[in-house]
Amino acid sequence: MTLSRQLALPLVVLWNALFWTYDRATWQYDLMVIAILAFVWLTPPAWLGDPMAAGPGLLGWLDALLG
Amino acid sequence: MTFTGAIGAVCMFPLRALIALSVVLRVHPNVLTLIGVLINVLAAWALAVGRFTLAGGIMIVANIFDFIDGKVAERRQLGSDFGGFWDSVMDRFSDISLFIGLIYLYAQLGRTDYVVITALAMMFSVLTSYTRARAESMIEKCKVGFMERPERIVLFMIGAFTNRMAAVLWVIGVLSIVTVADRIFYTWRELSRAQPGTPA
Repeated sequence: MTLSRQLALPLVVLWNALFWTYDRATWQYDLMVIAILAFVWLTPPAWLGDPMAAGPGLLGWLDALLG
Repeated sequence: MTFTGAIGAVCMFPLRALIALSVVLRVHPNVLTLIGVLINVLAAWALAVGRFTLAGGIMIVANIFDFIDGKVAERRQLGSDFGGFWDSVMDRFSDISLFIGLIYLYAQLGRTDYVVITALAMMFSVLTSYTRARAESMIEKCKVGFMERPERIVLFMIGAFTNRMAAVLWVIGVLSIVTVADRIFYTWRELSRAQPGTPA
């Protein structure tokens, strides 16, 4: 039995995301790209102390709109 | 076809024309590699002075050269061991130049935290390539881990064009650390399997 099968599903997903063996142009790769782009574009620059970015970012803008 | 596969297919159209042009003009692939590096140094300068959009544009041009050199070598049957070595060394030169540009920028802004984050991202980006090269001198393949050079370059461009370089540096830094760890673990596992009973 492989290590992956011994772990519960969330742990398997986490393990596969960390120990990356997928090729480019697979659905797993696309999912990772979407997650990265979401982090880059949605995280308000102020949270990261970005010295160069202007504007609050999409999440910051939504926060201001809803708050 | 996947989302990223479709983007790759669209980008290949103009690149095919450039490859054909380079073949017709008989440009040596090693010269194309060198031109790409020199243009990347310009991109590093643009990053250093905080002109991110300009840097992104220059990076696109530089990476076109970087992409087509191998294809031109293939088409002209000029592929050689030295060409592969030259390409790898110049890739590291380009990568490190971009990071140094950002380190200079953040140092000028007095942001020691981002100087350190950028330096760490640079260190683990270089280690990503080194671990694979060293591993493949002992095992057949060591192609594990997400954050390889193409991902890094595309992220740099996204950070430059959308002015989100800090987030990009966090992604490159963290995923490069994970990639280096993946490669160390994978190499240890493969060597242990090859030599059961002996410590790797």
